[in-house]
Amino acid sequence: MPERALVDRLDDAIQVTLAAPEAPVDRELEPYVIIARALRDLPRPSFRVRLKADLQRRTKMTAATESLQAVRQTATPRLRVKNAAAAIDFYKKAFDARELMRFSGHGQIAHAELAIGNATVMLGEEAPEYGFPGPEALGGSPVGMHLNVDDADVWVDRAVAAGARLITPVTDQFYGDRSGSVADPFGYSWTIATRVEEMSVAEMQKRMAALESERPPRASAFMPKGFRTVTPYLVVDDAPGLLEFTARVFGAEETHRSFSPGGPGGLHAEVRIGDSMLMIGGGSTGHPLGRPGMPTALHVYVEDTDTVYQRALAAGAASIGPPVDQAYGDREAGVKDPSGNVWYIATAKGEHYIPAGLHTVNVFLQPLRAEPVIKFMERALGATGVEKYVTPDGVVHHAKVTIGDSVVEMGEAHGPYQPMPTMFYLYVPDVDASYRRALEAGATSFSEPGDQPYGDRTAGVEDAFGNQWYLATQLRETRNA
Amino acid sequence: MDADERLQIEAAQEDPARFGELYEQHFERVYAFVARRVPDRAAVEDVTAEVFHKALAALPGFQFLGVPFAAWLFRIAGNVITDRFKRAGATREVSLADDAPELSVESEADASDRRADLFRLVNELPIDQRRVIVERFIEQRSIREIAGRLNKTEGAVKQLQLRALQSLRTRMEGANA
Repeated sequence: MPERALVDRLDDAIQVTLAAPEAPVDRELEPYVIIARALRDLPRPSFRVRLKADLQRRTKMTAATESLQAVRQTATPRLRVKNAAAAIDFYKKAFDARELMRFSGHGQIAHAELAIGNATVMLGEEAPEYGFPGPEALGGSPVGMHLNVDDADVWVDRAVAAGARLITPVTDQFYGDRSGSVADPFGYSWTIATRVEEMSVAEMQKRMAALESERPPRASAFMPKGFRTVTPYLVVDDAPGLLEFTARVFGAEETHRSFSPGGPGGLHAEVRIGDSMLMIGGGSTGHPLGRPGMPTALHVYVEDTDTVYQRALAAGAASIGPPVDQAYGDREAGVKDPSGNVWYIATAKGEHYIPAGLHTVNVFLQPLRAEPVIKFMERALGATGVEKYVTPDGVVHHAKVTIGDSVVEMGEAHGPYQPMPTMFYLYVPDVDASYRRALEAGATSFSEPGDQPYGDRTAGVEDAFGNQWYLATQLRETRNA
Repeated sequence: MDADERLQIEAAQEDPARFGELYEQHFERVYAFVARRVPDRAAVEDVTAEVFHKALAALPGFQFLGVPFAAWLFRIAGNVITDRFKRAGATREVSLADDAPELSVESEADASDRRADLFRLVNELPIDQRRVIVERFIEQRSIREIAGRLNKTEGAVKQLQLRALQSLRTRMEGANA
């Protein structure tokens, strides 16, 4: 088959030509090889497009001295995203990006190039099955994008208007930038900065040292004595009633009660049950809560489940289930108190009535699906040490998630055990950092970080599953342990 | 120079946004001209970019003296190349007179034009042939690599390569006939 032979001989000749352009060739193939030699100088299609875009941009400007970076910058970020077409639209709106090119294959955008200002950003559809996962598949991106712009305030506003989530509002930074940051819907975070003051690195160091010394002395620990990382916060219509219930049934010891008429209801109290603290707040006589409470499901370990169960019924709770010995070794009962909180009362049959690793009071979440909640807790709140008991059909029957020195339990919703979004008071080493991480992980803010009169710096976020997290760092020691 | 070109230049002098049309017409020629003189792709791209930026900046001063626009661009390119390689202290021969000391601007234009024609013809190839040409000659990938990237057999890639070169040869001969 002469045609087939030509195919192979031609490729051999091309291989030789690519390696050594001047090498002699077969006469028959010479016309092709001449073309092949010339094709080595073929311009890259992307260069042709990019240079044109660069020239067009310049024709819109008066200055003809803009840098040539966009034409061929040496290092270029390549973002992998889920739904590249939507990402391109978003970046156009949010960052005034111009599309230089897009290349599609199998109905997806394999590669696209955008110009943002004078820089090129590449992006393409994620392909986790080929080892190219996007931020969503990875649970976030460790790489941050940074935009240097002439007016950070305007750019951040425009990005937020286009659908980005504000992570840090624009503020003057000690190192000479005025900057803020946003998270885009595709998992990347962007710092948007305007240089307002040039300075040396030595000057930056000096200013940082000055800032540190101006800061009032911090409390020695980021959480008060007696507290653990996780404290459930029960918000109910009748806070005094619930306080009385916990005292009668669980022997709760009240360590703090205050009233501030500003908030809903206005009552705030803290009680200790065994080794655990609980916060209870909300309405009281003459001061209604004015919104639905957030009843919570709690797993409480007691010395004698039967006695406590009877006390709960006597205090007005409804039975969910009388005490029974469970296959996993606890004797367990369930009640719902008059405020709607669910208490799983249990006594472990081991060496101690509280199993190793758990505490007297443990929050018990009942989400529709456990996995995304765990992912959020890991990414935003630094949760570790997840233990899961999964049924053969994939239902997460029971999971224990460690956050700091505490454990949050969960079991996927089934039957009468439906989701009970919970309010948490969570002590973290750096409230601002945790707040940012939570927003990056998809939470929405209901309270920006701020110093509270009671000595904590707090912020509030709500996760995608309806749980509310007060993030707190103790600044001053005001509580008596 | 023909009347169309003159009109295009006047339009771009009045409204710089119209420079895009001149770019579209002359990109391949300038690129080919530079590629014949400058050693590597990165330098070719840098010089080509600089030529067009300089041309855009100098366009208001361009005067019609019967010189084709391409020749004007080639002159800018020649200057940029001399400048750049003198500045870099490069010893490599990159002067206009490299292979033909007496080459006139006219025949220079012809040589670059032929190559520019070839580059344009590549853009007219069917998409899968074009992909193979770009991968093979710009990226200089092996047939096996290209087969992997395009999800085709090596035999199919070689066939596409042959078809593309046959088509380019026929068209180039047609253009020069």
